[in-house]
Amino acid sequence: MPTFKVLENRQLSEHTFCLKTERPSDTIVAGQCFNVGVPGSGVNREYSMYSDANAPHLEFLIRQVEGGTVSPALAAVEPGDPVEVDGPYGEFTLKTPDDSSLNYLFICTGTGIAPFHSFAATYPDIRYQILHGVRRDDEQYDAAHYPAGAYTSVLSQGAKPQCVTDYLKSHTVDPDTIVYLCGNRSMIIDVFAILRDAGVPGDNLFTEVFF
Amino acid sequence: MKVSISYPPIVNELGQKAMVSQNRNVQFFKEPTYLLPVTYAQAGTWLKNEGHDVYWDDGNAQLKTYDEWFADLVAWIPDMIVVESTTPTMKFYWQTITELKAALPDSIIVMTGYHAMRKPEETLDACPADIVLLSNHVDFALHRLVDFIAAHPDWRAICELEGLVIRQKADDLIASSGPEYRHTGSFRQVEPLDNSPLVDRDLVQWQRYAYENGNFLQTPGTYATSVIRDCMFGKCTFCRYNGPDLTFSMMSVERSLDEYQDLIENHGVKEIFDDSGVWYRGREARAFAQGIIDRGLHKKGCYFGINTRFEYLDEETIKLMAEANFRFVLLGYEAADDETLQRLNKGYQLQHVEKCLTWLTQYGLHPHLTIMVGYYWQTREQLDKTVSEVKRLMFSGLARTLQVTLCTPLDYTPYHRECIDKGVLLTDDYDDFDMSKLIVETPLPHDAYYQAVREMYSIAFHPRFILRQIGFLLRFKKREWQFLFTYSLRAIRRVRQHIFNLTRNETR
Repeated sequence: MPTFKVLENRQLSEHTFCLKTERPSDTIVAGQCFNVGVPGSGVNREYSMYSDANAPHLEFLIRQVEGGTVSPALAAVEPGDPVEVDGPYGEFTLKTPDDSSLNYLFICTGTGIAPFHSFAATYPDIRYQILHGVRRDDEQYDAAHYPAGAYTSVLSQGAKPQCVTDYLKSHTVDPDTIVYLCGNRSMIIDVFAILRDAGVPGDNLFTEVFF
Repeated sequence: MKVSISYPPIVNELGQKAMVSQNRNVQFFKEPTYLLPVTYAQAGTWLKNEGHDVYWDDGNAQLKTYDEWFADLVAWIPDMIVVESTTPTMKFYWQTITELKAALPDSIIVMTGYHAMRKPEETLDACPADIVLLSNHVDFALHRLVDFIAAHPDWRAICELEGLVIRQKADDLIASSGPEYRHTGSFRQVEPLDNSPLVDRDLVQWQRYAYENGNFLQTPGTYATSVIRDCMFGKCTFCRYNGPDLTFSMMSVERSLDEYQDLIENHGVKEIFDDSGVWYRGREARAFAQGIIDRGLHKKGCYFGINTRFEYLDEETIKLMAEANFRFVLLGYEAADDETLQRLNKGYQLQHVEKCLTWLTQYGLHPHLTIMVGYYWQTREQLDKTVSEVKRLMFSGLARTLQVTLCTPLDYTPYHRECIDKGVLLTDDYDDFDMSKLIVETPLPHDAYYQAVREMYSIAFHPRFILRQIGFLLRFKKREWQFLFTYSLRAIRRVRQHIFNLTRNETR
């Protein structure tokens, strides 16, 4: 498996880190995923890219899973260490990023924001809103990277706990909006139902489930 | 409503039966293998639970001739007939649907399956089917559709349930204005898999599928209700579980454990196979194996089998699965060269194959390799490497059984479309897509690939392989003795059949 050097391993919250590596020379489309693992472990996992598809490096937003196999090992790598990176794979990408008439709504939980960060960095001219469900405010990863008003987070812990479904129930979604969902399965199931009830057709909905 | 979920017997000129069910490439076999179409079984169960009258109509497993199957179905007078398509059976189905419509003009015929969902108009043009379902989630789609049709006589005009192409007039194939179809939009399944019922074993007559299946070392065996719908990877170009409209979903571990407990304790099942494209991994895999142990099901003499991918299961998980009495582990080993794996978007690396197989074998599981040959780019070097690596893995005991198929573009998968785009398809007659011969241009004469198939299947008869299996007896585990003395006899019968099927177009 191709190995690439780690350039940076940046801790973003208690359990989440951003792994920056050299990139393969292949053409990469924003939002695609890669298989990533520690050399010799024999086990890899798919992670969506976090970085600009045209950047000279790759970034992955990774949550360290308690009792997990791959993510704790990746959390421990340091700049200069090799990691296995294989890909890109997948079609969770924007179909017509040059069409300026489209309005996008990106709904995510936790590290599910990764492909949307990649979209935003790669296609700065698209019109989008991000709705990000997190537990605490330190999980609003790199919120300053988005234009003013484009990023909204919903905190499920704290004084007024709320989740993305609560937010969506109290806001209107234009049925013509192109909606991308990424994150945990239960959020996607619940949000999907809300959007369908709001009249958003299946053709406008794209999902990527993080297990 | 009276709904029939129908699998007509399809018999070729050699008297072989086609095995058609979800996630199965159609192959014709003289020695039958009866595979339970799990998603359709869930669809039937759901409809039955909602009070509909369901006719589980698998003419193959029920050992009917075509005429018997046809007469029985017509006599039952269904309101709806559901059939499942795949490329090599399309022409057969179009003819069969035409005959059924003539005999049962008021029955609504729903064509499902991966081929028709990619080319719905083709089927509606070619036969009088009423609806093409644009989803492999037939259980979720059908229960809504049947309820809707039952409540709305004017369903053709007003049904807005997504994922359908509906013929607008029942008799429009003969109407002067020509056929008119209405698309209701893409089907996007995003509902909990737990909402679909577990398979009603009585409805599907599960014992008809319990014995004639090469995956079972012990019988009666059965297929579990799949814990994964579509695939958590879902990017391999040759696979049907590939496309933006297909969505990964997962059943809860506890629910699956409940079913296993029921199958073992109330049905006396001795081997359970989960035919999910890829079974649980990581946390869920460990939770499932631990759940089997906690419930004491690992001591009931029942083996468990799964499909997985290289690089998905780590040693700790495999060890726990072995403790839980897992046995059969099916892995796609499509080729032994990196270029092919990259072209197929397989997403695993050859360097990790041996480690995974070593863990599986070390803990007493039986890895089964599924290999393909005949890719339109496959060179002599690539082919030889695959054959020699497969031999090495089998002779060393790292893999215990194998299955080789001719890579056949099907159902408009990305590989199929690639073959069309590159102009390498040698035929557009769907009857030729039955996996009995190569239908793409290749760098080598086709005979080279047929010989490779023969060579790999012949490993089963090689003294080195047999000696290695005898060596496994020293583990003094029941499964190893069963493997050698029971399974081997069955395997030999099936291996000879596979060699015949896959090399009968070889120049002699």
